[in-house]
Amino acid sequence: MSMDKSAPVVEPTGLDRHQLRDLLTGSVTSIGVALLLVVIIGLTWVGPNFLSTSNVTIMGSFVAIPMIVAAFAGFALLAGVVDLSIGSMLGFSSNICAALMAAGWPLAGAIPVALVACLICGAINATAIVIFGADTIAATLGMLVALRGMTYIISGPVGMIAAFDNDFYNLVNLTVGPLPLIFVFSLVVIGLAAFIVSRTRRGRHIQAVGGDDRAAARAGISVTRVRFVALMLSALGAGIGGILYVGQLGSASNYTGTGLEFQVYAAMMIGGYSILRGGIGNPIGAALGLLVVAGTSNIIDVRAISPYLTNIIVGLMLLAAVLLDRLRGGDAYE
Amino acid sequence: MTEMAATTPSTTPGRWNALRANLPTGWGAAATVALAWIALIVASGIHRADFLSHQTVLAVSFTMAIVGVLAVAQALIGMSGAILDLSQPTGLIMSAAVVAWLLERNVPIPLVVVAGILVGAAWGFANASIVVLAKLNPIIVTLATNFIGGAVMFLVYQNAQAPLKSSFSDFGRSYFLGLPNIWWPMLILILVVGYFLPRTRYGRHMIAVGGNRFAAQTRGVSLKKTRLAVFSIAGAIVGGAGVLFACSNGPFAPTAGATFQLPVIASVILAGCSLSGGRGNVWLILLSVGFLSTVPTSLVFFGLNSNWQAVFQGIILIVAVSIDGSRTKRTQR
Amino acid sequence: MRMMTRRTIATMVPAVLALAITGAATGPAAAFKLGMAVGGEAASNWQKPQGEVAAALAKQRGWEYVELSNNLDAAVATKNADIFIQDKVDAVIEFNGRPEVNPVLAAKFAAAKIPVVTYDISQKGFYFVGIDNLAAGIAGGEGLGKIAKEKWNCDVDLVLSSEGAGAGIVNEWRTGGMRTGLQHICPDIPKEKYISFEGSGQVAVAAPAARDVLAAHPDAKKILVVGLNDAGVLGAVQAAVQLGRGDDVIAWGQDGAFITGDNVDPHLAGSVLYFLEGYAVYALRDVIDPIAAGNPPPMKDTGDDPASKVKPCPVTAEQAKSIPGIEERVKQLMAAPAGTTEFDLFCPKS
Repeated sequence: MSMDKSAPVVEPTGLDRHQLRDLLTGSVTSIGVALLLVVIIGLTWVGPNFLSTSNVTIMGSFVAIPMIVAAFAGFALLAGVVDLSIGSMLGFSSNICAALMAAGWPLAGAIPVALVACLICGAINATAIVIFGADTIAATLGMLVALRGMTYIISGPVGMIAAFDNDFYNLVNLTVGPLPLIFVFSLVVIGLAAFIVSRTRRGRHIQAVGGDDRAAARAGISVTRVRFVALMLSALGAGIGGILYVGQLGSASNYTGTGLEFQVYAAMMIGGYSILRGGIGNPIGAALGLLVVAGTSNIIDVRAISPYLTNIIVGLMLLAAVLLDRLRGGDAYE
Repeated sequence: MTEMAATTPSTTPGRWNALRANLPTGWGAAATVALAWIALIVASGIHRADFLSHQTVLAVSFTMAIVGVLAVAQALIGMSGAILDLSQPTGLIMSAAVVAWLLERNVPIPLVVVAGILVGAAWGFANASIVVLAKLNPIIVTLATNFIGGAVMFLVYQNAQAPLKSSFSDFGRSYFLGLPNIWWPMLILILVVGYFLPRTRYGRHMIAVGGNRFAAQTRGVSLKKTRLAVFSIAGAIVGGAGVLFACSNGPFAPTAGATFQLPVIASVILAGCSLSGGRGNVWLILLSVGFLSTVPTSLVFFGLNSNWQAVFQGIILIVAVSIDGSRTKRTQR
Repeated sequence: MRMMTRRTIATMVPAVLALAITGAATGPAAAFKLGMAVGGEAASNWQKPQGEVAAALAKQRGWEYVELSNNLDAAVATKNADIFIQDKVDAVIEFNGRPEVNPVLAAKFAAAKIPVVTYDISQKGFYFVGIDNLAAGIAGGEGLGKIAKEKWNCDVDLVLSSEGAGAGIVNEWRTGGMRTGLQHICPDIPKEKYISFEGSGQVAVAAPAARDVLAAHPDAKKILVVGLNDAGVLGAVQAAVQLGRGDDVIAWGQDGAFITGDNVDPHLAGSVLYFLEGYAVYALRDVIDPIAAGNPPPMKDTGDDPASKVKPCPVTAEQAKSIPGIEERVKQLMAAPAGTTEFDLFCPKS
């Protein structure tokens, strides 16, 4: 808190870079192999159609918005402050956006209002956690509950808001070559986030804060500011995700985004993040984690295996992924 | 996250410090919650005098019963440093479903109660085995097992219900001294666990493991055994909650436990129990559960619907942990 | 650093390459293919049988059958629609609990020229098969009203509505319809006696909420309960029993999930059975069989003028005693001659 801001910022040393490299190649490699495995299983079991344009489009459209949310939420995880409120916040944003559109606002007017509302909530999260020192899980859980209540209030007695905007729908469903535009956009967002995390000074600061906040503070990094910004980014990602869902689903409801935090964080853990310890994980790993889950459930869908098995398999995959990560020398819990 | 941070004196003079040092752990949190609870009751009573009725007491105490029992289990997990057991909903309903299944087959009630508790203990032990053997983080393990357990239960059954015309169901719907029968086991559990935890070697081991696992190890406390024991005991308590749930409720689906998750976690945090271990006083759960269970009833008297209840509960949680956080911070400085 | 990037890219390349490969068309499409999206109402006892009946009927006809679960999630429902379209199914049955996304589903299926049957929730361009929810609501309300008139001469202290906002317009029809039906029989119950609370159609949600509402009305002695479904209504009954006021309550449900069997709550005076598990009989008989035969029926996509009308079966608890439980009903339905509905088999003729 009482940090000397004029202290010289110490650049991460060569040693840090090596550690960084090991972490990155380690977790990203294993999740990359896992995805390859899913693709091979898909190709043998479903056939070449598993990678047909239409099937890739299905997976891409379904996974794109969670991927964008994950790219932003990843900053908070990396900084060591898990934000459990992202699902509710996405629903909050979605309902604000849809309600304004239903009231006749243009999309260009609804978007900033939804985003600002989410940023305010993000700032409340950040103030409680960073300024007052509140427990991260507890504070963002409170926000999760409060914002779910807000989505019920906004969506009204019928619990849904129709906001089918033809142009927006078409934009979200555009395809670029073989891929849906929204999926390409999410890949770009992931790429940018990965670049920031591993190639910029700010990104390295986030990792340093998440890895060891005292050491980071000694090195002159403002832990407060980094975590505050990380939580704001996480809120911004949820806000963007909510708006995109209005385009994809033509509506919003009191249910939008429910449980999304578990879906996203489970995939991110499969992809090498830790939700309890900062400093590890890479957006590319998060994207691959989401693709592994999406690919697996797609195989279940396309093969028309009982839909009741999906959760069992995702749960087992989550266990397997964290176990694999641990055996490779990650996060041991004792 | 040093233990008993809340009781460490800060800037006040000596005698006052000595007094505070003798108060039980977490007295600050206790005072805050108690004041908030009293303020809520007074405000509701002024707004509508009939708030202060036996019906309100019953409504609040029914809400308290199951949440309170689950909160004790969650507090044990947290104080032993295992953060959160996210698989409680599955453990609760698994136990309740087995109870209903056995009762339908006319198994004697005492056996059924034991079976329900054992199912919970077995679920806790299974979770702990994964945590200990694979050295994985409990929050992730229980997130996964809750996914898996819920889905498996849905494959087995869709709706269960204890036979309505049975002394078992009658028990769950009757009162003792003007309070629900199912409220009293919760009270006893909180009092007993709260008394023995800091006063027995075993209880102190448990908190020691949560506070500083390495120091505990050097003093000869086995981490593995302690973890297995804590999860099994907490699981047995969840199983007990399942029994109480089955006798006081109508038909329930595999997903029926989900509604308890957030109030339980909020109660534990509000009671000042640290999720990362080493700090907490189980007695205070009675206050936090009481306060949080009064909020929804009170809001209805103020004419606000359940959507606003969620908003208020969320805000209360954020404010409470902010106060707790700043208090810890101040004393650490 | 560069090294790292190269390795990262190396792991990505196979995946990206693989993604870039586009597959060929599917093999020969021989049999008629039916897609079924179940709702994802994990809390209901009829969802699984609903899929199983459809599967059995499709099998009888030698059709292929694909079942997916919408998981009560709009995004999943959208993805499932895409999968059905990719799968080149010949017809789809949607039981979509998230109706807000129906316009998007309709646009997708229309573009793919796949006929769709929707259960219970109407959508322009989908064949409507199902109950007239409003009529079912009114019938239930009238059933409850008759009992209230007989027992209490319509002198009622409180009418509790266990709403389920998540079900959208269906909730308005059923819960609101029950209030309308009640007013047909008991027109003089004052407006302020009607109190609503959110029960989400689940016992676990409705019970605590109803407990608080009942506590806030400590003097109410004659209480009627209506709601979205049996589970939501039973939650309120549960709350009253816990508060020692079980015998002050008369409840009437919708959907009939908890009115049959040997463990029926004595305060549930009746319900309206839809026999949801057997809807596929209607859908196949009146819409999909003709489509498979190459002669699609005219589009009827509203609840007022449905492609196939499921008749609501209002029953008192007494009448329900003669109706078997859901597993037995499914068994008998599968043994019955083609086209026979559960209404024909089980609804008491009175």
